[in-house]
Amino acid sequence: MPLFKVENLTYYYPDAQQPALHNVNMSIEEGEFLLVVGGSGSGKSSLARALAGLIPDFYGGRIGGRVFYKRQDIRQINKRTLAGEIGIVFQDPEKQLVMTGVEGEVAFGLENLGLPQAEMFRRVAEVLGFFGLTQLKTEFTASLSGGQKQKLALASVLAMQPHLLILDEPTSQLDPAASEELFNLVRQLNEEMNLTIVLVEQRLERCFHLADRVVVMEGGQIVQESPPGESAVWQVKNRLPYIPPVAGFFACTGLSGVPLTVKEGRKLLSKYVLSRDQSAGQNLVLPQPVRAASKERDTPIVEVKGLWFTYPDGREALRGIDLHIGAGEFVALMGENASGKTTLLKQLAGLLKPWRGRVLVAGLDTRKVAPCQLARVVGYLSQNPNDYLFRDTVEEELGFTLSNLGLPGDGRIDEMLERMKLKRCREFNPRDLSSGERQRVALASVMAAGPQLLLLDEPTRGIDYGLKAGLGSLLQEVAAEGTAVFLVTHDVEFAAEYAGRVVMLFDGKVACDGPKHEVLSSSIFYSPQMSRLFRGVNSGVLSLREALEFTGLRTEHPAGCEGHHGSDGKGRGRTCC
Amino acid sequence: MPVNHLSYREKGLFLQSLHPAASFTLVAVLLVLVLIFSHPLYLAGIFAVTFFTIWAADGLKILKGYLKFALWVVLMVLVINPLVNQSGNTVLWLSPHLPLAGRLVVTLEAVSYGAAMGLRLLNVVGVFCLYGLIVHPDRLLNLISRFAHKPALVISLATRLLPAMAASLNKIREVQQLRGVDFSTGSLKKRVGRYTTIFNILLVSSLEDSLQVAEAMQARAFGSGRRSSYRRDLFRPRDGLCLAGGIFSLGAAVYSVIHALGSYTFFPELGSLLSGRATLSALAAVLGGLALPALLSWRWNHCRYLRSKI
Repeated sequence: MPLFKVENLTYYYPDAQQPALHNVNMSIEEGEFLLVVGGSGSGKSSLARALAGLIPDFYGGRIGGRVFYKRQDIRQINKRTLAGEIGIVFQDPEKQLVMTGVEGEVAFGLENLGLPQAEMFRRVAEVLGFFGLTQLKTEFTASLSGGQKQKLALASVLAMQPHLLILDEPTSQLDPAASEELFNLVRQLNEEMNLTIVLVEQRLERCFHLADRVVVMEGGQIVQESPPGESAVWQVKNRLPYIPPVAGFFACTGLSGVPLTVKEGRKLLSKYVLSRDQSAGQNLVLPQPVRAASKERDTPIVEVKGLWFTYPDGREALRGIDLHIGAGEFVALMGENASGKTTLLKQLAGLLKPWRGRVLVAGLDTRKVAPCQLARVVGYLSQNPNDYLFRDTVEEELGFTLSNLGLPGDGRIDEMLERMKLKRCREFNPRDLSSGERQRVALASVMAAGPQLLLLDEPTRGIDYGLKAGLGSLLQEVAAEGTAVFLVTHDVEFAAEYAGRVVMLFDGKVACDGPKHEVLSSSIFYSPQMSRLFRGVNSGVLSLREALEFTGLRTEHPAGCEGHHGSDGKGRGRTCC
Repeated sequence: MPVNHLSYREKGLFLQSLHPAASFTLVAVLLVLVLIFSHPLYLAGIFAVTFFTIWAADGLKILKGYLKFALWVVLMVLVINPLVNQSGNTVLWLSPHLPLAGRLVVTLEAVSYGAAMGLRLLNVVGVFCLYGLIVHPDRLLNLISRFAHKPALVISLATRLLPAMAASLNKIREVQQLRGVDFSTGSLKKRVGRYTTIFNILLVSSLEDSLQVAEAMQARAFGSGRRSSYRRDLFRPRDGLCLAGGIFSLGAAVYSVIHALGSYTFFPELGSLLSGRATLSALAAVLGGLALPALLSWRWNHCRYLRSKI
């Protein structure tokens, strides 16, 4: 008997013309680990909310079809019982923590369930212990790191002892190490406690192999569901990109059996590929990053010399940073949370001033110019595109930057709208657009001024493979035209695919700085899956394309492999205005 | 002001280990006494006890931060009060004739009254500093939520969200600056307009965010019926002693007020600071009760026997 059964589920958000879910049919067995993948707007999160009973109860809207939980219509189940049986953890921990203290946060759901004191005390103690949060129980939630906050959100839900745990992109805000830790906990809960898991995720490298079944969604419908290996082959055939690189690589080659982990992949690789042709990749020429002409490239855009910075509370965030970025370079800045990445980005933007040392941007000393003066040469895209959007139309949003900087329009807005594929959105209110489109409007409003240095803070957070591919290609184009691109990211795969150079920051110091192949292939946590697969074999392999080139394998589904990871930049799954 | 920028830091101190009912009672009694007494000796005594308790809570550095601002205000009270308050018989200084204001009279009584008010202000600042040092806001809210669940939750949410909103405001301001907006130049009207833009963005984003918080709360059974209350604090002998000290002090203060022992006459002439032994006895009783937590804290650090008993 399935734990969940969904029958002909169709759902429209209030005032929506298109359904978010369209005729969805599925079932979930007890103890199953289900991974839901798909592009932005494909209905993944809506499905998660429907399973949690939040749709239509919280959102309103129109609904058709039925969802059964343990044979009972979910809408007939008492709210309290439902919340106790089905737990959901959302994307942003900041927006799901309610109380100011850690212990109070874990107890919040239990209080809502009306449990007696002794039972609450036992559950709080057990959960804090299991998640290693006991030492933090008297801490303020605001003082926790992103990873700790998400772990607390998970602990708070699990204290309610649900039978089904739904996770809606729980690692989108976390660095690779914290993501790994969270997924290990989820795996443990599934394997050792038989907890049924429904995971909605965009970053698949760390979770694809954990799933018993992968559900692929497009346009509010389930287009395929199968075990991960079969899903990888099907997706490659159908040019869908929701596969981690290792599975994608083997699915492309058409070898029998698709390995899901690096370990399995290594075995298969040595069996079929390396033994067959050890010298296959000896002549592999590593791809050079797309960059501006050499004359431009040698022009330094950023010169950081001996930069130290301490926050007023005494926290030393940057310690002796030296950094040079030339025109046309595409640099990814990586490192754990609180390693000083955003602080360095703000130094380059002139938002923070050096305590010691110097920061020169396009020859301007950031200590001597205000950020609004630097805006002529620096473009800055923050983590949240909503911070930019307040005008009535997309066109006005772009015009706002130009008028502030006293720049003439002379076709810049048209050019930018064309380039960002926003022409049809010209008269739309930016707040009415999808998240991917909002990001493009924010980026367009920054790019309209034609900056020499483009700074981006976690631009791939929460966006799908297709949108990532579009963004990556665009940034490569921008770099090729001579703009220096400097982005902070936790997304190893993105950095490996598109950046030319990687800088790793640790505890406020540069831990390493060099071409991406050099830096990423030797890293433990900050290496892409393909690099781990080919570790010790060829350090020049970071991406699927490089792997195919190195192994000399022909692809069974060339079109699909080309489309995989969206290197065509067409951004499948993107919602268009 | 992010929550982690509040002065409360868990240091495992005796005063931080008190049950929130005991620590909050101490702070509340101190505040009430500061507001009801005008007698300089009482105000000075309460300040001494507050200072001693802050020292016991390892908060002198934090108090220094509070006083940096408060002392300027006290100085202003000391200067302005005698200039605007012309009452009192003991003239200290008579100004030359000033246009519109005439001749200003500075009296000993007005200066003394200003000093007493300054001392009261310092006391209020000290009490708030002590509150930040020894009362864990979450534990206090937990206590309040047993009697008033909804107000406690609103306070908790506000405590969580206000710092987040302040951080968002800063981020939006930074984004605007890097889109060429200069907040430091232009007429007042233009500057107000620029800040209005920031608040517009913040308002729209906050509304979107608040829906997500509400959704997360509903997913955790909020609003699904009668709730229970999680009690995590132990009530130990130390809490009983400190609570008793606070209540005793409040009782002694009420006695002082009823028998006019804690009031003082500033005008038209200064009264006597010590009107009799009763004043001193009542003062000792008030301060003794208040000082008990700090004394216990001091002994707790040095006496193993006491530590095992309370």
